[in-house]
Amino acid sequence: MTGRQRLLRMTALALGVALGAAVTVGSAASLTMTSQAITPLRTCVLTATPATTTAEVDATVAQGSPTTAMGTATSLTIQSATSTNDRIYLRFILTNCSPAIPASATIRLATLRLYVTARPAVCRTLDIFPATVSWVESSITWNSQPFGTTLNNPPTGSRTGTFNLGNAAGCQNTALGYTIGAGVTADVQSYVSGSSTNDGWMIRDDTEGSATTRTETFASKELGTLAEEPQLVISYVAVP
Amino acid sequence: MWRTVPVLAFALGAGVTIGAAASTAVSTSRIGASTIATPRCTSVGMPLVQNLPGTSVTSVTVSSIPSGCGGATLYATANNGATAASGTIAVPAGGGSATVTLSAGVPVSTAVQVDVVLTGP
Repeated sequence: MTGRQRLLRMTALALGVALGAAVTVGSAASLTMTSQAITPLRTCVLTATPATTTAEVDATVAQGSPTTAMGTATSLTIQSATSTNDRIYLRFILTNCSPAIPASATIRLATLRLYVTARPAVCRTLDIFPATVSWVESSITWNSQPFGTTLNNPPTGSRTGTFNLGNAAGCQNTALGYTIGAGVTADVQSYVSGSSTNDGWMIRDDTEGSATTRTETFASKELGTLAEEPQLVISYVAVP
Repeated sequence: MWRTVPVLAFALGAGVTIGAAASTAVSTSRIGASTIATPRCTSVGMPLVQNLPGTSVTSVTVSSIPSGCGGATLYATANNGATAASGTIAVPAGGGSATVTLSAGVPVSTAVQVDVVLTGP
């Protein structure tokens, strides 16, 4: 090898090292960029609108009218009384979310929002149970409801969500307006992942059969007032 | 001279290859890992409410923001499939609640997507 050849080879090797060094610097810069804290959260807000939508269905079933379908009523009623107990059934079709919630998504928070139009004088606990049998808004009645007609069934222990409501100090929801605290995160997670079928929920008074009648009334889809429609708010992350 | 050209080309190629390999290796391990491990000020869900004085969502309120997110910047975008609007606001120092006013009203439909991103603190 001549002296000139050695010089060219050394230059080439030096250039190679220099390129490697430049890339290393570039990599260090990208590391700095990824240290920024970023907290993403995607939320799908399902609203029961318009009044004719099938994206949400809701109905009251009334012990006092055990064979009457009330799916077209403009209000939803929960009541605890000696022989006129009322329950609510409602279901949101999650596939209306766009973009669709991936089956692998982690649901951070899912909340039912119902607009209270009348509340009892005392604080009442309301329990949310996932329905496991399908039902139809236009035909569901007290006698045909998925959970049967036995009071306080299913038992409180099998509820998956709860909130309380009443014009009393210390209650979660003391005023008219949208409820807070009606979390259904675990249920929505199972609906999204496909581990259970979305047949919606039933909400009843925690203690049915009260000697003093206790009534809570909510706006239904059919009321058609946009600011009072039932909502399901689902916050999730696609990558946990 | 004829023999030194391929040596130079090889050396350059080696240099690029080394550089590319280093870049790929670093990018794969660091960026791939950071997608999962990117620091977040919280991993819990936060209640979100659409505010609609009429028939459109004009602002979005996020509540129960942990104190660890205090000082972050909250970006929100609402999209009903036809109209999209966004806004930004600083989260109070102690967390809590923050309302983002959107750049335009987004008419309420059966489903409205709201994307929230907290950057920082």
